[in-house]
Amino acid sequence: MKERVLVVIPAYNEALNIERVVGEVIESYPMYDYVIINDGSTDHTAKICRAHGWKIIDLPMNLGLAGAFQTGLKYAHRKGYAYAIQFDGDGQHRPEFIFPMKEKMDEGYDIVIGSRFITEKKPRSFRMLGSKLLSLAIWFTTGVKVKDPTSGMRMFNRKMIKEFADGLNYGPEPDTISYLIRQGADVAEIPVVMDERLLGESYLNPLNAVRYMGKMMFSILFVQSFRIRNRG
Amino acid sequence: MTVLLRCVLISVSILLTCYVLKRIRHSKMKIEDSIFWVMFSLLLVVFSVFPRVADFISRTVGTYSTANFIFAFMIFILLSKVFFQSIKISQLERRVTELIQMLALDKEEEREKEEKSEADSN
Repeated sequence: MKERVLVVIPAYNEALNIERVVGEVIESYPMYDYVIINDGSTDHTAKICRAHGWKIIDLPMNLGLAGAFQTGLKYAHRKGYAYAIQFDGDGQHRPEFIFPMKEKMDEGYDIVIGSRFITEKKPRSFRMLGSKLLSLAIWFTTGVKVKDPTSGMRMFNRKMIKEFADGLNYGPEPDTISYLIRQGADVAEIPVVMDERLLGESYLNPLNAVRYMGKMMFSILFVQSFRIRNRG
Repeated sequence: MTVLLRCVLISVSILLTCYVLKRIRHSKMKIEDSIFWVMFSLLLVVFSVFPRVADFISRTVGTYSTANFIFAFMIFILLSKVFFQSIKISQLERRVTELIQMLALDKEEEREKEEKSEADSN
């Protein structure tokens, strides 16, 4: 019996990881549907997926994570999935946590975040300082505590899928979460464990991290309060 | 203002006007978009041929000198132009994104249909 959960796997030049990551999801968890969004990769990502006969949507050009993820949610919306989860193609997310997230969703939440810091304390590092600041900003503007705002592992229900599929400025980022909470979305977190990324480079070098933080803080604290909800 | 400077100003603004008009004649630009540049270059011609006009406006609005008025005025015009361009670029980006996504999704849907009909015919 299919669970009507769509696992959206955005992949940009993940030829080194994709086989292991997607292979695990497909073989061990056949009850979930999945779709790989190839974000205009210049390496063999698409070729590898096609060779396996995996379900892949090829974006003809690179749109970035937000655009790729949105494509997945548009697909979910077209097919009428009840839930969609963002699942990174670099091996950080573990598929065994999809089920508990889905169970939490069934309790009636709009968004469930796979959080690294519910049971464990945040280690002291610059990265965690950033995470703390974002948590604080979200709490300050919405009154809701989100312990792991930067976690990429998030599950959305039908209502949120529609919102993401149609909207502009719905990147899979903390500022969107804060916006959605303010619009009345119910958010829950469940504890998950994440791995370090398997192979290849992360885009998160110090300069990008600072830029990201600046953008997110500005967006959460300032810009999001100007946004109006266009659909009731 | 020296005579030379004035000559340069006049010729440059007239040249700009001619160039803009030429681009429009050869339809390299949409007419709506060209209106701004035609008006802008004509304004430059007016200010360089009749600097008295600028002096008069400057005195009326109360700026310290004509140069200040011209700078403030031009910066304002250009800033608003940049702002509207920014909006336009955002809209264009969004449209391109939508198109790319639609293209990819439709292609996938077609492939699914084909696979389905193949499976049915077998």
